[in-house]
Amino acid sequence: MEQPILIRSWPRAIVHLDADAFFASCEQAVKPWLRGKPVITGRERGIVAAASYEAKARGVERGMRLFEAKKVCPDAVFLPSDYETYSLISLRMFDILRRFSPDVEEYSVDEAFVDLTGLRRSFHGPYSQIASRMQEDIGRELDISVSVGVSVSKVLAKIGSKYNKPHGLTLIPGGEIHLYLKDLPIEKVWGIGANTSALLRKLGVRTALDFARRDERFVRKYLSKPFREIWEELNGRSVYPVSTAAKKDYQSISKTRTFTPPSGQRDFVFAQLSKNLENACIKARRYGLAACGLIVYLRGQDFSGHGVEMRLSSPSAFPAQLFGPLNEGFNALFTQDTLYRSTGVVLTGLVPGTGTQYTLFDDVPRIEKMARLYKAVDNLSQRFGKHTVQHAASLPAKLYARHLGERGDLPARASKDIKGESGRQRLGLPMLDVDV
Amino acid sequence: MDKAGDAGTKAGAQRIARFLQEKGRMPSYSEIALACGFKSKNSAFKLARKLEDLGLLARDAKGRLIPKAIKGENQLKAGALRMLGTVEAGFPSPAEEELSDVLSLDEMLITNRQATFMLKVSGDSMCGAGILPGDMVLVEKGRQPANGDIVVAEVDGQWTMKGFKKEKGSKDVWLLPANPKFKPIKPKSELRIAGVVIAVIRKYK
Repeated sequence: MEQPILIRSWPRAIVHLDADAFFASCEQAVKPWLRGKPVITGRERGIVAAASYEAKARGVERGMRLFEAKKVCPDAVFLPSDYETYSLISLRMFDILRRFSPDVEEYSVDEAFVDLTGLRRSFHGPYSQIASRMQEDIGRELDISVSVGVSVSKVLAKIGSKYNKPHGLTLIPGGEIHLYLKDLPIEKVWGIGANTSALLRKLGVRTALDFARRDERFVRKYLSKPFREIWEELNGRSVYPVSTAAKKDYQSISKTRTFTPPSGQRDFVFAQLSKNLENACIKARRYGLAACGLIVYLRGQDFSGHGVEMRLSSPSAFPAQLFGPLNEGFNALFTQDTLYRSTGVVLTGLVPGTGTQYTLFDDVPRIEKMARLYKAVDNLSQRFGKHTVQHAASLPAKLYARHLGERGDLPARASKDIKGESGRQRLGLPMLDVDV
Repeated sequence: MDKAGDAGTKAGAQRIARFLQEKGRMPSYSEIALACGFKSKNSAFKLARKLEDLGLLARDAKGRLIPKAIKGENQLKAGALRMLGTVEAGFPSPAEEELSDVLSLDEMLITNRQATFMLKVSGDSMCGAGILPGDMVLVEKGRQPANGDIVVAEVDGQWTMKGFKKEKGSKDVWLLPANPKFKPIKPKSELRIAGVVIAVIRKYK
């Protein structure tokens, strides 16, 4: 019998909740006639963005090309992504979780951490019961199935939610940690990537338990701080707090768009890129950030990708200032006679945008003028919808449909017209798509 | 006779109001008679009765006058008989008087925000219940339907919106249309309730 890692069962109680095949589940929730059927989303991108468990059971995997998916599962329903509905349902999921605890971390669109420590008394029951009520409420009110892990730290809770999918509920109290780590390969631990796991394997660490059992001297000698924290968490000592603050500090913002059919037209491809740049900048400005670097990449029809990274002379979130580098990058990448299927822009090295230091060579009045200009653009967008005013370089992207043919079908939500709604401003309610 | 009474009554009320404003107290009947140029206190008494009927004045147990809506000239001119709050200068802010507890349309229509979905109606099987093709209905998921509720449900593989009826004494459930063109449905093998309709929205303009 192995020695337990912790004696106390619940020094803390942290829940990790992970929605099962989230995008596909959302589609099944608003189109209840798709329940029990293989559903695949991502038609507009040409790859499988999400597959329902029915489709997964038939061998469909995330990221598969659509024609491959069609081969293994010909009766699957292929849907265009409806991010509007997914986001609405995601927010509702977090709202439901906040009925149980104020400490909810919206980790990603389909994942959340919840700190339940100390709440047993107010719910008159064990942590397992609170967690299963969360799962039930989300299932009953949203028709979304979620997998839940409850443990004493975030890293362990995450192991719990993965342990039994879909619709699992796994509790890992302090005394049972070692049972769950025993057979878990080290690279399956949240935060441990290919390089670290390769290093650890060379040092004789194969499983998460091997790692947790190593002493602090070993960890200090070979690993940096982030991995020492993971080691602490695996040992049941919670270091990562459940942070309730809305996600504010991005390290980078990326915007990618795929279009069909693939295009070799210079103006059109550049317009796609320019639109991405505008979108990324809008997001950066919304969070008060400015970029120090810019990555531009183009992906060809054959999925081959090329990118360049550039440093900016001063941080900016204004497309007008970034068009120079964007053009440069585009010219370096674009080759005639190549068909492109997607473009992307990444703003890197984000720093708080206000109080930025100007360099000696900056044209300060010009920058301030630009700040005023984009402030006005943002105000217009807020009142009349995004892209009310946009750069002319993006126009070709607006004038031609992004996807022609079958892939161009809009998600059901976007094609239903409701009196009072506009293309950009819509009611914050998910629409059931049932013919009654 | 209009609300503020005939011309004589109105003039009398104005004189009483002026007296009240100048002296800070209500006049006696003889003072009213003097102010209005009446020969007798009886006429003053009659005027007070009239103003009392109009709700401008009241009398205490000893018959002394109490100002009700007689405050200053402004209010009499505006014909404002009802007192709003206790503010003397200008009109009270509507925010304080009436708006202390307001619901938005959203809040009125929706009980459980997280569980409420919208559905655009295409069929006319519930037209008798006032739900027409093109209407939007709000559907709450996870709510237990009661007799008489309208539900969105899957019956033997078909999706429908109908009235919900559970027979007394038995477990039989009927789904009732509100249109004579359709027949009531009794689920043969399967009934799955997706949600209960909690509101209908029809926007004309």
